[in-house]
Amino acid sequence: MIDRKTDALINDLSADAAPVKRLATPLMRAFATLAGLALFGLVAILLLPHADPLAMRGAGGEMQAGIELVAALLTGTLAVIAAFHVAIPGRSRGWLAVPLPALALWLGLSGLGCWRDIVRSGTSGWELGHSMDCLVFIVTASLVLGVPLAWRLSRAAPIDPLPVAALGGLGIAALSAFLLQFFHPFAVTFLDLAVHVVAVLIVMALASLLRRPMLRPA
Amino acid sequence: MGPFEVTFSAWEMDLTEAGGDTGEESWGDLLAAAQCGDGNAYRRLLTAATPFIRALARRRVHADDVVEDVVQEVLLTVHRVRHTYEPGRPVEPWLAAITSRRSIDALRRSSRVGARELHNPVAYETFAAPAANNIEASESAKTLARLMEELPPRQKEALELTKLREMSLAEASAASGQSVSSLKVNVHRAIKRLRVEAGKDQLE
Repeated sequence: MIDRKTDALINDLSADAAPVKRLATPLMRAFATLAGLALFGLVAILLLPHADPLAMRGAGGEMQAGIELVAALLTGTLAVIAAFHVAIPGRSRGWLAVPLPALALWLGLSGLGCWRDIVRSGTSGWELGHSMDCLVFIVTASLVLGVPLAWRLSRAAPIDPLPVAALGGLGIAALSAFLLQFFHPFAVTFLDLAVHVVAVLIVMALASLLRRPMLRPA
Repeated sequence: MGPFEVTFSAWEMDLTEAGGDTGEESWGDLLAAAQCGDGNAYRRLLTAATPFIRALARRRVHADDVVEDVVQEVLLTVHRVRHTYEPGRPVEPWLAAITSRRSIDALRRSSRVGARELHNPVAYETFAAPAANNIEASESAKTLARLMEELPPRQKEALELTKLREMSLAEASAASGQSVSSLKVNVHRAIKRLRVEAGKDQLE
């Protein structure tokens, strides 16, 4: 039994069955987007003045900082890939958990570094280093990188935009934090870490609030 | 299919139970053809999938008219996001996710309406037509009419003429042939009797 109005709707819709451009797989679209963002980041690193090149620090043997950096990059990459998957109807909610181990590693290592900092230099670990600069950097970079990411994600017109926006926000904030390391003095204080976390949360909250205009859900 | 592709949550657990793709024509093929602009395939897909969508919607939404609204919204959403279907993958989880979303939207909408609007047909009628629907008054008028029928004829006549038709005692006397004093007595007795009977009636 088919309701008459439903039947009429089916007729209308099938009369309007114009060919559509099929989306590529979420993984392909995520990689293409990440490649674009990487190119943008590379240009930013080359053009913007940065006092303290990464290579020198790596040579200085800051192993843990290196892992931390990789963890941030991994968090951002996985979160962006997950966002592209969650934007498609019927894909697993398991994708929501995919960036979490990398996120835990990233925040854990930063926390450990800060703890050592506190032990070494006492209460000076609580000083607000270049924190505000970092916060502004992460939020600004996220806004700049977030626009093309949101545009790419909106192609799927995600029916449930909140998890897509949250994952996209996490991804873009983590990638911005990764980018920040190229412009950032390495000795982070405890508050610096807190500020990074706050910056990530701000970006995720902004992304969630802006999900409707940015992602244009169906 | 990666490790995270096992998508079924509890309510989607058995999509075949809701009458999924039964195999005459693969829904995946129809949808893939529809993406290329085949209106016929699209119509066959939507017609075949509508009972499935309706069955899934019914698991969340219970009012029949709302279920049909959800079905139509799902069809519209399918139309808008049909480019997100990836050929080769099963259509059911894709449709189920869209149906789930639209059902939740409908439930939210109805709970919003429920929180702000009050459905009380009796209250509505009472305020709209005060003269017509004072239920208690019409009940007591009926009771009174019944009690009056049970009065002795002379008492009833006296009461009718003097109280209901509002005649003076002289007019009533002329109309009924009862003397003025017997009219007075009969009216008095009638009212007393009605009072007693009505009191009994209320106690019952």
